[in-house]
Amino acid sequence: MVKIEEKKDSITLRISSSIELVSPLAEALDAFCLATTGSESCAFEVQCAVVEAVNNIILHAYNKDTHNDIILQCRKENSLLLIEIIDYGLSMSSLPIPSLPAFDAENGRGWWIIHSCVDNYFYKVIECIERQRVYKPNEGSNYCEDISVKSHSNVLTLTKQF
Amino acid sequence: MIIKEQKHDDIDIVILSGRFIMADADEARKKLKTLIDQGSGKLIIDMEQVTFIDSSACAVLISAFKSIQIKSGRLVLITNPVVQSLIELTRLHTIFEIVPSLTAALAVFNKD
Repeated sequence: MVKIEEKKDSITLRISSSIELVSPLAEALDAFCLATTGSESCAFEVQCAVVEAVNNIILHAYNKDTHNDIILQCRKENSLLLIEIIDYGLSMSSLPIPSLPAFDAENGRGWWIIHSCVDNYFYKVIECIERQRVYKPNEGSNYCEDISVKSHSNVLTLTKQF
Repeated sequence: MIIKEQKHDDIDIVILSGRFIMADADEARKKLKTLIDQGSGKLIIDMEQVTFIDSSACAVLISAFKSIQIKSGRLVLITNPVVQSLIELTRLHTIFEIVPSLTAALAVFNKD
């Protein structure tokens, strides 16, 4: 099921990380983009990029585990569509190089499609960190420090001019 | 996605309709593999009624293309503008034989 919250110039869509839910998510986004921009080509290209990004999250961030959340937020700012795709799975350590593989390679076209279909994109890993400082007697202002990540989210932001 | 199979003389025709994305890839891959393994090596994949495809669908088409090449067969795709745009974006139009209609696809084989 796709949970939808829609406002005047924005929409938030939430799904669990199941490949069966990618189509309804993409169709809801396509309808919003089409109504907001009036441009079929813009809505189509955004849909192409988002489907690839969500496929990547399901396959790589969540390793096909279906019990995780994917949140898609899309808003219009003047003549720009800003799309954020949020997950809580395994983070990427770098963005893949957006190049086409050999013609007979079956995989590896997703990032090329994302790169080609939007104007700009960037990826953020947001970590909530717990930082502990332990002071001991007779050590003055010296301390031992322990930093641990308590939670994190990954946000892929796509922008598209229309 | 809906997958239908037809036969025209010794030519296998697979008609796809609806959205062809990752959720449909495994089923489509299995059906095409079975058809290619058991068929004559003449295959048409009709995607005129496909409303959206992604890179997983491209992977299935490439897999079918490689399987039919092993049999020294021939694969012809029928596309529409939506399908064609992603195929061109991924440069796959340089390897696939693409025609706009079933009549044109059948003509490709009848020329042989």
